[in-house]
Amino acid sequence: MLISWNWLKQYVPLDMPLSELEERLMMSGLNHEGTEEVAGDMAIDLEVTSNRPDCLGHIGVAREVAVLFGNELTIPAADPREGTTPVDELVKVQIDCADLCRRYTARVIRGVKIGPSPKWLARRLEAVGIAPINNVVDISNYVLMECGQPLHAFDFGKLKGGEIIVRRPKPGETIEAIDHKIYELGADMCMICDARDPVAIGGVMGGAQTEISPDTADVLVEAAEFDPISIRNTVRSLNLHSESSYRFERRVDSENIDWASRRCCELILELAGGELVRGVVDVGEPVPKREPIVLRFSQLKRVLGIEITPQRVREILVALGNEEPSHPCSLPEGEGLIVVPPSWRRDLSREIDLVEEVARVHGYDEIPEDVGVPMVASSRRRQDRVIANVRRVLSASGFDEAMTYSVVDRQTAGTLSPWTDAEPLRTLTPVLRGADRLRTSLVPSLLAARRTNEALANPEIELFEIAKVYLPCGKKLPQEEYMLGITSGRDYLTVKGVVEAMVASLGVAVEPQANDAGIELLDPTHSCRLTLDGAVLGYVGGLHDDALKLFELRSAATVAEVKLSLLVAAARLIPCYVAQPPYPAVTRDLNLVVDEPVRWADVAATVCAGCGELFEDLQYRDTYRDADRLGANKKSLLLTITLRSKTGTMTNQQADEIRECIVTACREKYGAELR
Amino acid sequence: MDICVLPPLGYSSFISLPPHMALAEFLAELDALAQEAVAAYEAADDANALEVARIRFLGAKSGQLKAVQKQLGKVDKADKPTAGKRFNEVKRRIEAAHAAAAERLSRGVGPAAQAAGFDPTIPGVRPRLGHLHPITQTIEEIADIMGRLGFTVAEGPEVEDQWHNFEALNIPADHPARDPLDNFYLAAAERADDVLANPPSGAPQAADEKGWLLRSQTSTVQIRVMEQTPPPVRVISLGRVYRPDTPDATHVPMFHQIEGLLVDTHVTMADLKSILRLFGMSYFEDDVHIRFRPSFFPFTEPSVEIDMSWHGGWIEMGGAGMVDPNVLRAVGYDPEKVTGLAFGLGIERMCARRHGIVDIREFYKNDVRFLRQF
Repeated sequence: MLISWNWLKQYVPLDMPLSELEERLMMSGLNHEGTEEVAGDMAIDLEVTSNRPDCLGHIGVAREVAVLFGNELTIPAADPREGTTPVDELVKVQIDCADLCRRYTARVIRGVKIGPSPKWLARRLEAVGIAPINNVVDISNYVLMECGQPLHAFDFGKLKGGEIIVRRPKPGETIEAIDHKIYELGADMCMICDARDPVAIGGVMGGAQTEISPDTADVLVEAAEFDPISIRNTVRSLNLHSESSYRFERRVDSENIDWASRRCCELILELAGGELVRGVVDVGEPVPKREPIVLRFSQLKRVLGIEITPQRVREILVALGNEEPSHPCSLPEGEGLIVVPPSWRRDLSREIDLVEEVARVHGYDEIPEDVGVPMVASSRRRQDRVIANVRRVLSASGFDEAMTYSVVDRQTAGTLSPWTDAEPLRTLTPVLRGADRLRTSLVPSLLAARRTNEALANPEIELFEIAKVYLPCGKKLPQEEYMLGITSGRDYLTVKGVVEAMVASLGVAVEPQANDAGIELLDPTHSCRLTLDGAVLGYVGGLHDDALKLFELRSAATVAEVKLSLLVAAARLIPCYVAQPPYPAVTRDLNLVVDEPVRWADVAATVCAGCGELFEDLQYRDTYRDADRLGANKKSLLLTITLRSKTGTMTNQQADEIRECIVTACREKYGAELR
Repeated sequence: MDICVLPPLGYSSFISLPPHMALAEFLAELDALAQEAVAAYEAADDANALEVARIRFLGAKSGQLKAVQKQLGKVDKADKPTAGKRFNEVKRRIEAAHAAAAERLSRGVGPAAQAAGFDPTIPGVRPRLGHLHPITQTIEEIADIMGRLGFTVAEGPEVEDQWHNFEALNIPADHPARDPLDNFYLAAAERADDVLANPPSGAPQAADEKGWLLRSQTSTVQIRVMEQTPPPVRVISLGRVYRPDTPDATHVPMFHQIEGLLVDTHVTMADLKSILRLFGMSYFEDDVHIRFRPSFFPFTEPSVEIDMSWHGGWIEMGGAGMVDPNVLRAVGYDPEKVTGLAFGLGIERMCARRHGIVDIREFYKNDVRFLRQF
């Protein structure tokens, strides 16, 4: 909202420096965006929040200035001299859509002389960024910028039937607006019509057919109130924004409509001549009475934390235009006051609204910034601790943390969805370039990040992300699951090892079990699905060549995705101390030849069981295959066991016995032979 | 022409000795040789130099010690035992000096090391350390500071319903903030046959009747917390929020917010200001002052913009206010019994300012060269 310094001066003395005015306005709610000099005047740009449409005109801002500086506010009386012909003999107004148009007033001036505006008027409009057109149009704009009430002047001679009908459009009706574009009308738009056709889009823009022209002699001045939501919808669907619609969207001051109309007529008589027809056609609902508001003084201290004297409170509220009703206050003397808020402040209806008014005028600087806030205990959530730990392990393992968007495009969403078979949820408008599916896996997004980095020839692309996936749940809000996603240039076993180490670092009591992945994008010989206590924990795998092509990747890539909620539940965040025996460990290497289908996990379980109480560690070393030496369909598993006794130093003989035991067990179970 | 013949050093000086030699003279020669040899060995700074010196003094054929040994025969017979004893002492001394030098060089200590084929400037084998995303680091720091101020982290869903995103937050049905153009509403669930019938660009988009949307603020979490917890509450909610903005240097359609909420029996705006000041002082590691400018948010009243003093000016940190009584009522609290303070900070803006990042789109490109700076 641009405010002219010279114009503002007309309503309130400006005896302060410009900078002080800007500062005080900013600190009381009208944020200062900048000031520009315009032809000897100052155009002050103020940001007006949506709850304060009263400040969308000079008088509203002048009222704020008057309150802040204790200066007197002067508002023109607006008493145009009227002729003798009653207006209702000339014009009829009818509202057919009371839901869209609350109130409509019309005045008529006959015999005006259209011409350019005087310099002072043109300059003021220019200072606030409005181009002068002709005296009558300029006056309606002037009054708009003066008090915030939009007005429209019709060429009365062109209104067929001398009638105004406010109604919804008939099917197929269009209008040529004053911007000379033809607009097709929606069913719920509020149209101002003459006896036959639409002549204006109510509250948004006038029509070309009845606009003021150099030949106009008689003028009908419209001052009305339109429904904010209907205006907003009309503006959106026609993409037609105007100073008028902006104000109707935020609601105008119902009690100011007549003043604005009189003010407009007064200025037309003064600057364009003519004779004002007697009276006004005023159709619509009467303005509802404002309810009084009780303000308990104790509430100020309770909310703001500071004492403000009742005298100061009253002073501020009265200066802002609140009125104290004449009947006695129902509160005991000194405990509060009752006020009726002014018509231009629809935002004031509750006690808390008055508390804010007092606070902003009194000044937020008065509120201390060093009161002792009581201490309370807070603790980190289990989930945050676990996730912080996961981040630590991943970054220590050389992974950089990525952040990708929660949405992907249709094609990407279709590439991989290991957590659900349901169609992903979709936003009505894409969040970003075609991306409108709420992702059900992090991996496709991370592979896209991988592609971005490959295109930059960045040598090492090791990324992880911790974010949610959105799994549809029918009629319930989707299940949002935190996932760890990984993409790496390292091989399958390395990435699997990182995942295993991450799980181990959380002190999870059970080991994740690995099985065939069965995921289309992954190489079946370099991938696995992990489960924890029977629940699917995630998967790790290298992309096969077709998958690399699908994601337009040049180099091999390994991915993993882990459901973090399982780890949050299973993590043991506070480890329990275990005393360590003071005796040295003994290691033994084993080299077991087994048939191909025998799996490591089974052999490992047998080895552990064989070690019994003496077990300390089992290390997988390698798998060796050689058809000539081992025989076809055979492999040799190399492993090392570490044994330690709790009761004494182990002898070589004891260790060898254990080893024998293990070999025997493996022979019996898997036909294993020691190599 | 006068030819000046100076006695050459070392070996040649001995061959110029007269045939008979006094004991004192012999011993003096021995001492001089010993001193010279020890100095030469100590000065040797690599194996080559030491070997040259060894040959000069201890060389089996023409070493200087060998030459002196020959002089022993010219010493008077009576003096021979003394001379021989001293000769052996000096020989041992020179040999010991050589051994010490050899040992010193083999240990690789001293200036000799470089020439021994060692380069201390060769880089070590560095493990690759990953970097946490700057947004994560900012969130962790803010959550950590707020934790010290007694705020516990709370979380809620990103896909929200109308009640939590709007109604309970005092944003009624006709409020402009609910406009479809300002929110990411979800589309009606696709049926399988719809998908088949309209494969590429999709059917005309119908809004989901349940009115779900991607949350536009994390205040939704405050509602969920208050619905489930009787007062007092002191929480921060944080996470991803979504608003339809065309991406540019200062806007992205998905970003992060952190919001604080404190509801109790005696909570005032002075508490709000003081908590924000404590936060500012922790975050900026400096004395900070708080300035409130009036603002408007549906869910707080009074509503203010938060400025913090920094380097002689004011920087905008976010929005704040006292929880609107309608919000307290919506979650079943009695606004006559409790009051609440709330504040929200934009993570991307704070993070960008701290690190001098000029384009917040960088946060979501995931160029490893960007990520590895933090």
